[in-house]
Amino acid sequence: MSQASISELSPGLITLVGVLDYSSAPVLRKQGARLIKGGAAAACVIDCAGVVKSSSVGVSLLLAFMRDAKAAGKTLSIKGLPSDMREIANVCGLLEILPQQA
Amino acid sequence: MSAESPYAVELKGVSFKRGERDIFKNVDIHIPRGKVTGIMGPSGCGKTTLLRLIAAELMPSQGEVRVNGLNLPSLSRGELFDMRKQMGVLFQSGALFTDLDVFENVAFPLRVHTQLPEEMIRDIVLMKLQAVGLRGAVELMPDELSGGMKRRVALARAIVLDPQILIYDEPFVGQDPIAMGVLVRLIRLLNDALGITSIVVSHDLAETASIADYLYVVGDTQVLGQGTPAELMDSDNPRIRQFMQGTPDGPVPFHFPADNYRDDLLRGR
Repeated sequence: MSQASISELSPGLITLVGVLDYSSAPVLRKQGARLIKGGAAAACVIDCAGVVKSSSVGVSLLLAFMRDAKAAGKTLSIKGLPSDMREIANVCGLLEILPQQA
Repeated sequence: MSAESPYAVELKGVSFKRGERDIFKNVDIHIPRGKVTGIMGPSGCGKTTLLRLIAAELMPSQGEVRVNGLNLPSLSRGELFDMRKQMGVLFQSGALFTDLDVFENVAFPLRVHTQLPEEMIRDIVLMKLQAVGLRGAVELMPDELSGGMKRRVALARAIVLDPQILIYDEPFVGQDPIAMGVLVRLIRLLNDALGITSIVVSHDLAETASIADYLYVVGDTQVLGQGTPAELMDSDNPRIRQFMQGTPDGPVPFHFPADNYRDDLLRGR
């Protein structure tokens, strides 16, 4: 079973930690949606620095969180994108679409 | 061999027979992790059989086939099922489902093997189709695609579960030069960017040699030679030279073993 979690460290700062794969993703998807929709902050940051390993499903999670933020009228940015997620995003033409913090 | 081994796939002393006929006798092959390895040889030499041994569709009559350290013949059915999820295979035929559109063809492994919600299935299908340049073809049916496009859709499907090992069975057969160039570029890109171990089973010398980091030449039930493409091009071994230079006859005979021709004809039926 994959070890992964998502939590809100401080208002608007959401951390994604562990192995993002096909077994961990469905739960992370639901928990992340609740955090983004239910949080008080108007701007969300997804911190991926704690991601140990990710397949394409991790990049899909970020896209799903972007849709949640858009639906809730919030802004969302991504920081700490690890190299495997960056490579997947690059091959799939997503580097310009994912809102990464400088 | 652990997951940290430099080899993703190892065949040790593998023999395989079809009836009384030896296809492989005591073959050793080591596929380096994260590299493109070409397995080449003349038609009928057992390349596809080798692929099927690695994919655990066939079991050797002797020897070990290790994938990520696990000996396939000793695994249970459930363990084999899990192991196969780590492997993508691009079949020679493409093997697309003719009654499903491009989207559903690529989505199929996600629907079978995962519990992802529909929105994430859509993301991943579109990502993979974007990677092979066919996101715009998502609603087309297979019979509306050219041969090269079918092969690329099949490639998108083969990588949809992010396999660690990707096996290409004769990927260049029947492709025009442009489609072939696209495939060569994609195989290299996916290998390097995603850290996949790629195994290209092919008899197309120029294309395979152009992307492979390492080559095996198989024939006559054995590994005839191995090395980098440059090393094999310069090989002194007459069998390797025959294959690499494409001469019809040599140590690997043009004729399949047969009775004396004259006797065969004059014997009548």
